[in-house]
Amino acid sequence: MTPAPFRAPVPIVDCHGHLGVHPDFPAYKTEPEEMLEVMDALNIERLAITSTLACYSDAPRGNAEVAACLARHGDRFLGYVTVNPHPRGEAVRELERWADWHRPPLIKMHPDLHQAPVEAAGYRPVWEYADANGGIVLVHTWDSDGNCGPLRLLPIARAYPGARIILGHSGVTWRGYEQAMVVARQAPNTYLDLSGSQAHRGILERCVAEVGAERILFGSDMPYLEAAAPLGRVLAAQLPEAAKTLILRGNFCRLLGEAAA
Amino acid sequence: MSFTDWRATLAALELFDANVRVGASGPHGALTLGADALEQELASFAITGALAAHWAGLEYDAAHGNGVLAELRRDWLTPVFAATPETLAQLERLRPRAAQLAFGALRHNFSSARWCCGELCEYLQSRRVVTVISRDDLDWEGLARLLDDFPGLPVVFVNAGYRGDRYLWPLLRRHSHLYFDTSGYLAHRQLEAFVERMGAEQAVFGSRLPLFTPAAALATLLSARMSDAQRRAVAGGNLRRLLAEVQA
Repeated sequence: MTPAPFRAPVPIVDCHGHLGVHPDFPAYKTEPEEMLEVMDALNIERLAITSTLACYSDAPRGNAEVAACLARHGDRFLGYVTVNPHPRGEAVRELERWADWHRPPLIKMHPDLHQAPVEAAGYRPVWEYADANGGIVLVHTWDSDGNCGPLRLLPIARAYPGARIILGHSGVTWRGYEQAMVVARQAPNTYLDLSGSQAHRGILERCVAEVGAERILFGSDMPYLEAAAPLGRVLAAQLPEAAKTLILRGNFCRLLGEAAA
Repeated sequence: MSFTDWRATLAALELFDANVRVGASGPHGALTLGADALEQELASFAITGALAAHWAGLEYDAAHGNGVLAELRRDWLTPVFAATPETLAQLERLRPRAAQLAFGALRHNFSSARWCCGELCEYLQSRRVVTVISRDDLDWEGLARLLDDFPGLPVVFVNAGYRGDRYLWPLLRRHSHLYFDTSGYLAHRQLEAFVERMGAEQAVFGSRLPLFTPAAALATLLSARMSDAQRRAVAGGNLRRLLAEVQA
């Protein structure tokens, strides 16, 4: 019962992961130790995680679960502080509570599940915090969604140039990707994330041509989605190896303030 | 491992793709591929055979699409002819090894109930024609009813995605003649967990070319922990066996 040889040729630093399960279908092998087995097999050196519980229901409790995971496996996981815009004052309290996780701070917004547009009043102090602290903000995006369609991030990116905004899933659909590329072309502080359930043929090559390999990040969405799938897309893409290395590792290292080597 | 040599491992799997479409498409024009270009794309992933439907047969007219598809003679291509109540006579002439039932209101717009599709499905069942149905065209309840009504009809349910296990697994346990394609079966360790708990007999590799790259489904298949025999079964063995069982 062994996998066939399939492994990234460079150690991946993965910008999009989770901790936890989800309501709408069974979850498999979601314990951190089980995730580490997969990460080792695929050569994922580190994975930045957000609490799925926090994305759905309870940000303080979910963020505490991430803290516990970081305490056990801090060499393999990075933690996003997930913010809910609705409870008054909670988002900034959570950012301050977990400020020691990483500098610059890693922040996660899920406007779809929290049912609030990215420009909602409850998110404003989060954007201000990210702007002031060089925060890396991973935002779930989906096509033309009224809360988190990629195009909604363009005025945000312009208003908060100190924030580095990762367009989670790059809008997912082909049209969503097109919208994400519009944003990335016009706002230099935005980045495209490859995680997602739709493996559009040729979209990665198109993204590189439109916005440059330096603006594209490998994301798996593990343990929600299969990490091997986006890895296969990168490995099979008609791109120079240097571009693939940037996507798999170099770009997110640069955002984190690290050398890629 | 280099950036390219993972493809070398694919050849040993003898891949057969259950989910391909060929020809021109209205909404997907920028991505569509003709038979020759599709052949090149498949070959680049060492995929040696494919069930291929024609966009025109799904988007425009079943009989017209079937006629175009019948003229595409390629060693790698097993035509998936569009099956509607009106094309039954055409199908009897074409003697298909595979057919697609596109019940959806925006496709061929007919019911999956016996009172509507009974004669057509009886024909497909009598010859054990590999019958492709997309999740886009039939909900889970409709699929369950169809499988009960036609217990000898080999059904390959495609585009089921990754969120359907609470429906899919009970139906697979109940109906050994149901199969699903892996093109969208991309949740974390989902295929691996499926094979561990359900076996490898009812999963068939699919890519959803030309809209999706095969790379994602292939990488998922390659990285899943399962035996070599199970991996080859999913890669193409199961589908080849089904095609071999079609009655001439």
